[in-house]
Amino acid sequence: MYPITLEVNGILYPLEVDAHASLLHTVRDKVGLTGSKEGCDDSECGACMMLIDGRPVNSCSYLAVQADGSAITTIEGLTSDDELTPLQTAFLTEGGVQCGFCTPGMLISATSLLASNPDPTPDEVRIALSGNLCRCTGYDGIVKAVIGVASRAKD
Amino acid sequence: MTIAPERKPFIRPDGKEKVTGLGRYTADLNLTGQLHAKFRYADHPHARIVRIDTSAARALQGVFSVLTHADVPDVLYGGMVQDRRLFAKEKVRWEGDVVAAVAALTPEIAAKAAEMIAVEYEVLNPLPDFSANMGVDGPLVHEAWSDYEADDALNRAGNTLGHSSIVKGDAGTAMDTAEVVVKSRYLSDASQGAPIEPRAILAQWQGDKVTVWSSTQVPFAARSGVAHTLQLPESHVRVIVPLLGGGFGSKCDFHFEAHIAALARATRRPVKLVFSRQEEFLAPDHRREGMVIELETGVTRDGRLVSRRGRLVLDKGAYCGEGGFFAQMAAMHACGPYKIDNIDINSYLNYSTNQPSSSVRAPTAPQTCWALEQHMDEVAAAIDMDPAELRRRTLIADGDQGPTGQVFEAIGAKRTLEAALEMIGYGQDLPEDEAIGIACGWWPSFGSNSGAYVKLNGDGTGTIITGAMESGTGAVMGLPILAAEVLGMKPEDFSILYQDTDAGPWDMGSSGSQTTFNNGRAVIEAAKEVREKLLDMAAAELEANRDDLEMVDGEVRVKGSPGKTVTIVKLAESGEAILGKGSGDVPEAPEVDASACVGRLGVESFLAPQLITHAARIKLDRATGVVRVLQFAAAHDSGMIINRMGADGQVYGGVLMGIGQALSEATWFDDDGRQRNPGLLDYKLQTMSDAPQIDIRWIEIDTPNAGPKGSKGVGEPPSVPTPGAIGNAIAKLLGRHVDQLPMTPERVWAVARQVDGA
Amino acid sequence: MATYTTARTLEDAIVALAAGARVVAGGTDLVVGSRQGKNPLPDSLVGIHRLPGLNAIKQNDEGIEIGALVSHSTLVADEVIRSHYTGLADASAIVGSHATRANGTIGGNVMNASPAMDTGAPLLCLGATAKLIGPGGSRSVDLSDLWTGPGNTSAETGEILVSIHIPRPENGTGSSYVRLQYRRQMEIAVVGAGAAVTVLDGVVESAAVAITALAPTIHRVPEAEAILEGSDGGSSAVARAASAAAAAARPIGDVRASVDYRRAMAEVITRRAIETALARATGQMLAIPASESTYGS
Repeated sequence: MYPITLEVNGILYPLEVDAHASLLHTVRDKVGLTGSKEGCDDSECGACMMLIDGRPVNSCSYLAVQADGSAITTIEGLTSDDELTPLQTAFLTEGGVQCGFCTPGMLISATSLLASNPDPTPDEVRIALSGNLCRCTGYDGIVKAVIGVASRAKD
Repeated sequence: MTIAPERKPFIRPDGKEKVTGLGRYTADLNLTGQLHAKFRYADHPHARIVRIDTSAARALQGVFSVLTHADVPDVLYGGMVQDRRLFAKEKVRWEGDVVAAVAALTPEIAAKAAEMIAVEYEVLNPLPDFSANMGVDGPLVHEAWSDYEADDALNRAGNTLGHSSIVKGDAGTAMDTAEVVVKSRYLSDASQGAPIEPRAILAQWQGDKVTVWSSTQVPFAARSGVAHTLQLPESHVRVIVPLLGGGFGSKCDFHFEAHIAALARATRRPVKLVFSRQEEFLAPDHRREGMVIELETGVTRDGRLVSRRGRLVLDKGAYCGEGGFFAQMAAMHACGPYKIDNIDINSYLNYSTNQPSSSVRAPTAPQTCWALEQHMDEVAAAIDMDPAELRRRTLIADGDQGPTGQVFEAIGAKRTLEAALEMIGYGQDLPEDEAIGIACGWWPSFGSNSGAYVKLNGDGTGTIITGAMESGTGAVMGLPILAAEVLGMKPEDFSILYQDTDAGPWDMGSSGSQTTFNNGRAVIEAAKEVREKLLDMAAAELEANRDDLEMVDGEVRVKGSPGKTVTIVKLAESGEAILGKGSGDVPEAPEVDASACVGRLGVESFLAPQLITHAARIKLDRATGVVRVLQFAAAHDSGMIINRMGADGQVYGGVLMGIGQALSEATWFDDDGRQRNPGLLDYKLQTMSDAPQIDIRWIEIDTPNAGPKGSKGVGEPPSVPTPGAIGNAIAKLLGRHVDQLPMTPERVWAVARQVDGA
Repeated sequence: MATYTTARTLEDAIVALAAGARVVAGGTDLVVGSRQGKNPLPDSLVGIHRLPGLNAIKQNDEGIEIGALVSHSTLVADEVIRSHYTGLADASAIVGSHATRANGTIGGNVMNASPAMDTGAPLLCLGATAKLIGPGGSRSVDLSDLWTGPGNTSAETGEILVSIHIPRPENGTGSSYVRLQYRRQMEIAVVGAGAAVTVLDGVVESAAVAITALAPTIHRVPEAEAILEGSDGGSSAVARAASAAAAAARPIGDVRASVDYRRAMAEVITRRAIETALARATGQMLAIPASESTYGS
């Protein structure tokens, strides 16, 4: 077992993990944040996505030991109080959420996209969020939500 | 046509927990002392079990229990045929048959122990070819199955567990004398529901009662299944569904809840099962059925469909489950929503040693519709008529008779056609590598018993207690809209207690697009009972005549006397019980005279049928066969729409699922019936970058004998005509139809090569 | 019991590798591969993601040096890569998903030696070499010598890839990478091809063509190159070169495609790659990634 310190949503967690433990399992089982989901375990679905030092990462396929000393943001860290972020709100008002299982990863990807590209075209949104599979929404409400938030930020 | 009242956008009550990550799905739950379960699956698709030795597995440190058929009651179960046990006993019949289950301290130990179970087999020839092995003489998947309990209408013979026909008039003579006859043969591969949440189950006993948390679409069916297979009273089994991460039919039916409950009982500990993605592909007895579809149509040169013959063969896989009616459902889709003078369709549902097929979003319909609609375009070409014009002349309209003599009223089939044509810009000039294809389809609504309670809380808010199941579609989330309207309250005034079999009344679950249709009615009835109670209380409070009262904006008012009001809050805080219960009258499918048909399993009459036309504009890369859908139009008659955002969401998602089935999604079996692509790398769901713009139009008709407010179901039809529309667009560019589904790049390329003579 | 160390210096990494550890950087090949059941995760791992100095793209008179830890998203955003080493940008733009591109490194891609890696064909065509450092010092290896089979390289135990070097292309050079893709994203190459051509006064001075996922390793196709060199780069020469590439392919049949389809696509995709490279060599700006801009051509 390896001692590591994960900074998750601004809080430091001293942990002991196996060298092969994934960041996803570590955050779900040891940190106790279950918002990030396991949909495939091989980086095909994106439900487990977290930000590591601002980069979107499929945490199922990232070793916890490698995240030692990194700043990690999970879905639970997108908002620290009762207020939703504009993206979270837009996902709801545009019909971007149905079963909600892909939603955490989708919101992480969308947050990451807008941080690096505040004014994306619809096609840029579609390309940037293609690593997040959704079976419910046909993606329509999600694209509208991201574009809507980006254009409101511009105004 | 009546216009639906304007309703403001409604944010789903479970929305906040879903966008913050604080909501709990089954795999997110953990109980103190819980163990982890792992299954041992069959090592061969078809084999006789000679001996199972669990001693080495039991001896492994950290293993608490290993169960086989010998450790549970010897009970057969199954929806329409009782053909299955929890654990395989004499034989394994597909690669996902469960032979044993382990509970251990960690998932890793459980997995290791499962591997250490020694199973000795006498290997049998697999029977993966569902159309070749249907005779009565060959080897059987179920040797003893004439002894099984089953629905009498199934017409069992050999490996055929169901035979249904649709017979109208004299199809043979009509075909012989038809001006033009067109014959087609189509093959469809299997596909999957593939929800993003792999299933999970957690079970805990308290005394002689068990609570099971399960990612099921049908908690009451799961409860019945646990009670039946473990020989318990239903009152000893409570099934709770935390948030459900999608189902699309694949989480319908009773599945693995009893295995986990049995492990928890054996170990006196909570036990948890979480499927890997691979298991989510391999183990469930729910995938979309492969089919062979042969169609023949006789037509006059002016487009009258004088005769339709068809022969359909469906792959049921190893077990029947709830899918026994599939042969008849497919037969109805081989007719489609068209006027046809004479019909003779025979449809066979066959056992094989493949993964069992069962409900996945509109079972049998997308692939049958894909075949029929391509066939319709071939018919149109044979009489040199525009495909839209042929449908214009043959789609059913008010007063027309369907294939089983059902007379349709208030039906919007033709209006969906015109709406879809308009949205897609049918007839426009396109680049030479683009084309538009159209397809029409239908799907019934399902009437079922359903119940709900509504109670008011002391502060004047309400709680809806329902047996209905929310799989993500928003159907349960929309119930407060209905209760609020009855009571003059706001939807956000209501909380919902749902997905707990000890709380809500029995419900069919999230299947058959039936939640709003049936539970909506129940909630309205329950709210009406609350309304009656409130009117009684207010009449006494206001010393007014009950008939003079109205309920508006959270108050009970005397009509025309602005000052004479009492708030619902005031009435509720008295502490008097304000409770309502409801179920309402279940709408029944119209009687039809289908006496010439065999295998009648209840879908010969379509209750409140939903009509659909889809139109797709696609681009074809002829050299590679890669097709992209550029634009999509979906026009639906689902009656009146109650929750527009929820209904639209079903179309967006259903169309994309249909595009996947059209182009990229297939479960490929090897020669022995083993899945070759049980993962999301090679089972290709459509990504966001593949998804086209989808335009939607609802043809809102206040439908009699339907759901609340003249509504019909919504959830399943959006996948039905999608592959057909895409197929017809591809065929326009290729000059020939692709006769295998999915229409993968390689298959499209192969047809292009034949046409181009390369 | 699995072991892991984070290398803080190259020496740390070399010591760990010499002791039998496997490198993990972004994890998008190694860890994902293990999850997909290709190979179990190695018992001993050394994380090199914190090694300093390996995540820069440096340009000099001879060409360009790409640190092993440079990610695909950095590559595709780099103006020099886009304008002078365009085929590499074509490839990096379509690896996996945006998360794969943000984490997956060029070094990991190269050392994983997958016959389906997207960056492989353009790197071969552009004449890239790998710089390895090991207990015995540093050496440069042509990529064609580095890749010895699926998942296998000629790197010695203890050697670590530190950078990729690509010589500066001659004026009048254009390059490309095109992949057959069923979906627009989240794909693994079923067939791919790269090309780099130098055109002077309407004559193809030099040509490099490489094919992906069509043999145990990605490799150049000298027969195709010979057809192009000295030609006018017209449709006839391109067609014959593409046909030569298909003839050189040794495809397998699997769940993704049959042998026949792969061979036929080898010709189509190679043709598109060559056409794109020629167009770029003559100053036409074809959009990156070429897999998108050549769709339907």
